[in-house]
Amino acid sequence: MKIFWAELSLNKKLATIALTLGLIALFAGDPYGGTTIKVNEKDIALSTVGNADKVIVTELADWIIKDKSDFELVDLRSEEKFNEYTIPGSQCIPLPQISSSELQRNQKIVLFSDDDVESSQAWFILKSKKYKGVYILDGGLELWKEKVLFPKAPINGGKEELAEFEKMKEVAKYFGGQAQTDSSVAETKQEIKLPTPTVGTTKTTPPTGKKKKREGC
Amino acid sequence: MNAPFFKFEYFNSEVSLIIAFIIGIAFGIALEKGGFGRATILSAQFYFTNMRVLKVMFTAIVTAMLGLYFLSVFGFVDLSLVYLTQTNLLPMAVGGLIAGLGFIIGGYCPGTSMVAVATGKLDAMVFVSGMIFGILVFGEMFPGIENFFNSGYMGNVTLPSYFNLSYGLVVFLVVLMAVGAFTAAEWGEKKMAAKSGKEIL
Amino acid sequence: MTSITKMITHAFEKEEGHEHVHREAKPYSNPYLVGIGLGLVLLAAFVIMGRGLGASGALSTAVAVTVNTIAPEHAAGNNFYSEYIGDGSTNPLMDWLIFQTLGVLVGGFLSGTISHRVKKGIEKGPRISTKMRFAYAFIGGGLLGYGAKLARGCMSGQALSGGAVLNLGSWVFMMMVFVGGYAAAYFMRRQWT
Repeated sequence: MKIFWAELSLNKKLATIALTLGLIALFAGDPYGGTTIKVNEKDIALSTVGNADKVIVTELADWIIKDKSDFELVDLRSEEKFNEYTIPGSQCIPLPQISSSELQRNQKIVLFSDDDVESSQAWFILKSKKYKGVYILDGGLELWKEKVLFPKAPINGGKEELAEFEKMKEVAKYFGGQAQTDSSVAETKQEIKLPTPTVGTTKTTPPTGKKKKREGC
Repeated sequence: MNAPFFKFEYFNSEVSLIIAFIIGIAFGIALEKGGFGRATILSAQFYFTNMRVLKVMFTAIVTAMLGLYFLSVFGFVDLSLVYLTQTNLLPMAVGGLIAGLGFIIGGYCPGTSMVAVATGKLDAMVFVSGMIFGILVFGEMFPGIENFFNSGYMGNVTLPSYFNLSYGLVVFLVVLMAVGAFTAAEWGEKKMAAKSGKEIL
Repeated sequence: MTSITKMITHAFEKEEGHEHVHREAKPYSNPYLVGIGLGLVLLAAFVIMGRGLGASGALSTAVAVTVNTIAPEHAAGNNFYSEYIGDGSTNPLMDWLIFQTLGVLVGGFLSGTISHRVKKGIEKGPRISTKMRFAYAFIGGGLLGYGAKLARGCMSGQALSGGAVLNLGSWVFMMMVFVGGYAAAYFMRRQWT
């Protein structure tokens, strides 16, 4: 056997090696690997310090108005809820599909659902897959509706608070909501479906960030 | 360790540019050593007198493919993070045809023309200027052909997923095909050399 | 079984009479070894950067940036150019492919110098004039530039890199390149043989 190998020319040796590896490949399995992940819990715990990974609803509203495009807004609810109403500019990735999504690790990702539960779960999943820029929209859609769409007038508010409220009135209008000046009006909460052209369309997947330079050849 | 390193942010994009330069140097050396800086060798492929292009190209593909496959299977590389160009079937087929014509008419392909320019070949410099012109024409024509350019979109599709075969099986078939092609190429080269009495470079 | 092995063995043998003719420049290395070397470089790119190699992209960026400098509105309105220019937040010339291509120039020069293969010259067959060679080189380059952009890549990017990751479009592209090359080879035989 050894003599056989030694007498083979270089080319034949290479061919043999290639074929052997190819044969092994037949049985070696799926290169897309398992779905097990190693979690560094200290790392994750540390990143929650100082609420560095939370985004406030009014902050988000500001970014959207200013047409900031350096982040991905992800709606974790079901598609029906997404189609009913969603924050403009978000894409729908229901929680069960979050781990197989096409989100890039170097993107800033803001997660939200109705409250904080699902966004926290998704946050953990992404963090354990070593995503760095993951954020939770603090309070989720509930708080979004409360603070952005239907902001309430401050009772006994000082000058600052009233000025803040005036600003929120404009913001609410922008998103198709309505400021509540009377507490009883809060009862009639209608979900206003935004005609999407006015504020920004939900993203479709083929262009991965139209504005970024293409990665390719 | 996690790879691809850049995707796990082991270093930033400035450093990646330096890495690009170094990888480029290695790329250039490999091409030049392979004789790819010469149009006469590159075009000989299409006359069956010198099948270097086939041999080097497919060996490289097989090497990288096997390497990537096994590294992924062992969990060292996250294959899902490796960049995959989208597939636009018809434009790529047509583009390939046009590029093939350009290859035999011009005698170079973009990468090898750079090597040829670096080794002083004047025709390569003309070729590069031709490429720039071709890209410009494409750019100017783009609004008109944009629809065609985006047609046949199939997302990111690999051979295994398209033919519904296991990745390992496709790897094996590619290796098999490559070795078969090399065998045929060696046989063909000898036949042509015997016929014309010329040596194989 | 042994007869098949014999057949393959026989095919790989190098016949005595056809060794490299002595020339001033060093002869080229075994193509399979070169291929392995190239494959390893490609693999390194995949493992380090998560992407493959490329060539036409660098020229496209250069063209796009030039067009943008001369006529910014025209470039901005054109989806092809604007893709290579980005959104203005980063310098488009600080591009991975541009740096890689510069490396190719340096690497090719270094390797050529060491092997005494750097020489001003023109690559062409014996039956054609320099002028015609230049004409064909330009036309060929134009076709290649155009075709590569249409296919979103060239031999290095699509065929080599895309091929290694078993990308469907890349393999289709590669096959068609060979088809195109062989189809036109007959008409180009004056130039090369």
